[in-house]
Amino acid sequence: MPSSAATAPSSPRSSERPGGTPALAALEPAIVCRGVVKHYYYYEHRTTSLREMFRRRVLRRPLHVRQPRFALSGLDLRVGQGEGVALLGPNGSGKSTVLRLLAGIYQPSSGSIEVRGRVGTVMELGAGFHPELTGGENVRLYGAMLGLSGREVAARYGRILDFAGLHDFIAMPVKYYSSGMQARLAFAVAICVDPDILLLDEVLAVGDQAFRERCMERLHRFRAEGGTLVAVSHDPEGIAALCERAVWLQDGHVRMEGPTAEVAAAYAASARQEGGS
Amino acid sequence: MAALDTVAVPLPRRSPSLRWSWGLLANLVARNLRVKYQRSALGFVWTLLNPLLTVGVLIMVFHYVVRLQVPHYWAFLLSGYFVWSFTLQTLTAATTVLPEHSHLARSLPLPSEVLITATVLSRLVEFLAELVLVLILLAAFHHGGVPAGYLWLPALILLQVVLVLGLTLPIATLSAFFHDVQHALPLGLMVLFYVSPVFYPASLVPERLRAWYQLNPFAGLLTAYQSALYQGRAPSPGPLALTAAEALVIAGIGYAIFRRYRALLPEIV
Repeated sequence: MPSSAATAPSSPRSSERPGGTPALAALEPAIVCRGVVKHYYYYEHRTTSLREMFRRRVLRRPLHVRQPRFALSGLDLRVGQGEGVALLGPNGSGKSTVLRLLAGIYQPSSGSIEVRGRVGTVMELGAGFHPELTGGENVRLYGAMLGLSGREVAARYGRILDFAGLHDFIAMPVKYYSSGMQARLAFAVAICVDPDILLLDEVLAVGDQAFRERCMERLHRFRAEGGTLVAVSHDPEGIAALCERAVWLQDGHVRMEGPTAEVAAAYAASARQEGGS
Repeated sequence: MAALDTVAVPLPRRSPSLRWSWGLLANLVARNLRVKYQRSALGFVWTLLNPLLTVGVLIMVFHYVVRLQVPHYWAFLLSGYFVWSFTLQTLTAATTVLPEHSHLARSLPLPSEVLITATVLSRLVEFLAELVLVLILLAAFHHGGVPAGYLWLPALILLQVVLVLGLTLPIATLSAFFHDVQHALPLGLMVLFYVSPVFYPASLVPERLRAWYQLNPFAGLLTAYQSALYQGRAPSPGPLALTAAEALVIAGIGYAIFRRYRALLPEIV
């Protein structure tokens, strides 16, 4: 298998790769993270008021220095072009932090991140929607937030409405949409951006069954066309079909990495054990 | 163990999705205006009502009670007041723009400078609409024609945007870190209102204080507007150049403060 020569020892077996991605593509990395550390200084920054600054700077009295909270402590991750990687792990293990770092929303405290290609980010569906605006207006606004030009949005407009299946409601303010309809519209815009790399936080739990299937089908097509996917999931079974490799994060570091089925089984076993004990 | 002042804030290589985007800016300005006006029957009337009422009260107090010796006092007031209310409302909005978008900033890579600039520009669109009204009123009832001073407006508007944007950037940034900014700003604006020639002409300020008084960039800006609109002639170049220089310095410092902390803004707000 040519990909295993170039990528990390944990690279996937090609037989498990769905969608028939050209094996050569995996030689080129789409994402390379080296020793990425991320800590948040929540308390220090958030509650720092001028009074605290005065105490420290003028009275020279030390504050209660709070330990930085490490969200990631030295993450190494390499994702080949056209690869699908699932991030597993309990709440607070750093999964969403990884996605935000890859998307460029947050900056790493140290270490380096290289991302090659257009990135599509679906962290939270409909975060960019304004309830007072109509569906159509929101499509244009959200498209602009996702980095599309006006012309690019116009070119995709029909496709977006087709995918969302909301032609009849497009002139209605989004606040009158059901939450499922909002999610459909948001996901339709996000997927129609045509990214090279799609970062997916757990967003597919919304929408009705039919729409979920349409999303899965669309994500499979995205993979088949050579798209790179990094997806966060609490549901290893659903994601196993989309991602051939999984990374299990725990307390900000990689606990296990390998073929999705193996990692998912180990993760499920550990979760059961912790739940039982 | 790291205290705030020893924390190295990375000045990072920015991801391409965080680059400045005019398209996003235009969309955000359109959104702000649409949301404000599209479902309101009287729309722009409400926007005008507040400054018009204030102008009415100021005329009553300073023309009829205090009896400032300013001919056509209403014309004098109109030529500066809208510049002031633009400043007041924009700087006040600066303290809330990032918290209002915190949810969004954590789920999409959005350049904060575009969010902040959109706040200034959507307010500017309203200001321009108000200004057209003021220009018509002054031309019709004060000058009886279009004075040459109107030609200076593009330059003055540009100066105003640079100055206010230069203050909006650091105010928005710092209010994400220090809640004190929200408390301090109204006080600062109140003082600024009285030390700027909004409801009285700068010429009433005693000679020996004038040099200090003119250091306030808003004194320079308002005086220039009053020359162009009320007196209908070119602002005097010396004070205008000083104000322009101050505006550039403020914008430079403001941008530097913003730039220093912008990488942290999505996590903080």
